[in-house]
Amino acid sequence: MKLTRRTAVLLTLATSLTPIAAFAQDSVKIGYQLPLTGNTAQYGQGFHEAAEIALTKFNASGVLPVPVEIIYEDSRSDAKEGVTIARKFVDDDDIVGVLGDFTSTVSMAAAQVYKKAGMVQLSQSASHPDFAKISKWQFRNITTQDQEGAVNAAWMIEKGIKKVAVIAEQTDWGQSAANGFVEPFEAAGGEVVYTEFFNRGLADFRSIITKIEEHEPDAIYTGFFYEDGAQFLKQVKQLGADTPVYSTSAAYNDTLIELAGDATEGLFLTATFLPSRQDENVQSFVTEWKKTHDVAPGQFPAQAYDAVNIMLEAVVRAYPDITRESLRDAVAETTDFPGVTGNTSFDDNGEPLKELTKATVSNGVFVEVQ
Amino acid sequence: MSKSRLIKLGLIILVFALVPAILVGFDKGYYYQIATIAAIFMLLAASLHLVTGVAGLLHLGHAALYGVGAYVAAILGAEYGIGFTIGVPLAGLSAAAIAFLVALPTMRLMSIYFAVATLGIGQMLFLIFQNWVGLTKGPNGVMLFSGLNLFGFEIDTDLGIYYVVASIVALSILVLNRLSHSYYGNALRSLREDDQCASAMGINVTVMKIQAFVISSFFAGIAGALWAYTTGYISPNDFQFSQSILILTMVVVGGLGSLPGALIGALLLIILPEMLRSVGDIRNIIVGVMMFGAILFLPKGLFGEVSALNFARRMLGQGWAAKKGEKGIGWK
Repeated sequence: MKLTRRTAVLLTLATSLTPIAAFAQDSVKIGYQLPLTGNTAQYGQGFHEAAEIALTKFNASGVLPVPVEIIYEDSRSDAKEGVTIARKFVDDDDIVGVLGDFTSTVSMAAAQVYKKAGMVQLSQSASHPDFAKISKWQFRNITTQDQEGAVNAAWMIEKGIKKVAVIAEQTDWGQSAANGFVEPFEAAGGEVVYTEFFNRGLADFRSIITKIEEHEPDAIYTGFFYEDGAQFLKQVKQLGADTPVYSTSAAYNDTLIELAGDATEGLFLTATFLPSRQDENVQSFVTEWKKTHDVAPGQFPAQAYDAVNIMLEAVVRAYPDITRESLRDAVAETTDFPGVTGNTSFDDNGEPLKELTKATVSNGVFVEVQ
Repeated sequence: MSKSRLIKLGLIILVFALVPAILVGFDKGYYYQIATIAAIFMLLAASLHLVTGVAGLLHLGHAALYGVGAYVAAILGAEYGIGFTIGVPLAGLSAAAIAFLVALPTMRLMSIYFAVATLGIGQMLFLIFQNWVGLTKGPNGVMLFSGLNLFGFEIDTDLGIYYVVASIVALSILVLNRLSHSYYGNALRSLREDDQCASAMGINVTVMKIQAFVISSFFAGIAGALWAYTTGYISPNDFQFSQSILILTMVVVGGLGSLPGALIGALLLIILPEMLRSVGDIRNIIVGVMMFGAILFLPKGLFGEVSALNFARRMLGQGWAAKKGEKGIGWK
């Protein structure tokens, strides 16, 4: 008993000694909730680095007389923590706007808090069809699947593809990827011969591929991220199927080519960010990124980089009378923001309007299709 | 006033006066949020305690039943306009009904086989949340716009929500306390120690296990409804296997078979990661190390079963106290 009590007291003491970070006065504070640990930490860490690159550049430029500060909080992609962080950000009167979260689940749960409190929330990746519709406070910097699906559908029709099999991951994103493609494709006279959803992390796609091939489509439209994409493409090649595969910007990542090698040759996809694009913005971001990485940044860090810059630009517009309200309006005013993922404007719902690039894999690199 | 009364009064004052006073004093939404989540997980841990701690059945699917409650409350609220007052008990009853159905075939399984079966049940329910798009909206989750409306009163202040959640959780824990510290709880403990022997003593082992499982799931369902109403948005990811493990860890770290232990475990595992937020990315490692240390040095838990039972007997159980001139009668 004695040991129990003493240890319990020690534990309590140890945990109460949490350091309190001191912040410089007179700065503009932005909150960023993202998964820095846990299953999706690789994405959150990428956002963190991209945000730091953007912020360092901004603060060095001296556009504002005061520095902007970003406060990062780790949500572990857990809705419990996401909501708690949202409440924490809302409590801090100095924080005028928030970026994040990564997954739609956490972003949407946190959005209920921001909606109630009135704080602008700009997510670089929440793809849930209803996210931006929650309230006037939600914005996102990821193309909707309605947009990507329409571009892909038009692209296929143009190439004379009539029969398509659709597979997508069983998530909110996968659902919207499939729907966003199927509607415009069928409206343009195309036919969807087979649809299947798979759970993320599926190791064996062979039964799905066999079923796809039974329906003899002209092409396969896929809604997957690069991890699943690599598995799928490898197995398509193993089974000797030569149906062309179309995909979305979520599959766009150099790691895809690393993982699946020449199985990715001839993959078609829409993308908003190509590190090889000869554009000053893109090249300066890629150069900064490569100082700490061996490979070029993928789509997600690029989206985060732009999201941070859009927020910073809005801060400049709203300065010096920055309130949560005025910052929200400044974000909404964003028009043709020249980012690394193309020019971005927001529509009335807070959805980004972006130009999409058509790309393909050729000789082991993503190249733009003219 | 007796010591026992004092402790009970102290607990009531703590939950309904002291904690709210601190919350109002700080007036931070953040602390309200932590208090609410801590309360919900205390209920989850307390309900799992009945099955895993008292009846000794290793249950790896508790989060799924928590999910059933959340989904029932959210879907009833969002689609059928059935509010909090009726939605919460219905959420509990639905979770209990589903638990009853899955308990029938699984309760005859022993030890590790039962654990694997509950693991399967948890995964099945998770896949239903994820894939039955027509009912659960699948991975899109359910948004619950209606606020917390109790008997026609709209409760929208942070303090009001805390009181509602704390009252429901306190009442539920009171019931679980009576169940685990009684003849009934002792009968469940006897199954845990030796179910053949218990059976020979006239205890219907299967029926008692099913009862414990169903009651526990009822309260998990209530906790789910509270989560749905306090968050406003639920999706399958909230009820993954990892949440079952989190709840189980709370029970084990606190002390298997000890109700106060389960509550302390829940408090610790909700509050500790938040307190360590300023440490940065290594906070999860610190939590992990502390848990490891707790199990290593206090294998019986932070508040072990024996101390918990003594505590309950001495402090909470008036019925067991020896009356003047009589012999104490043990459990009642």
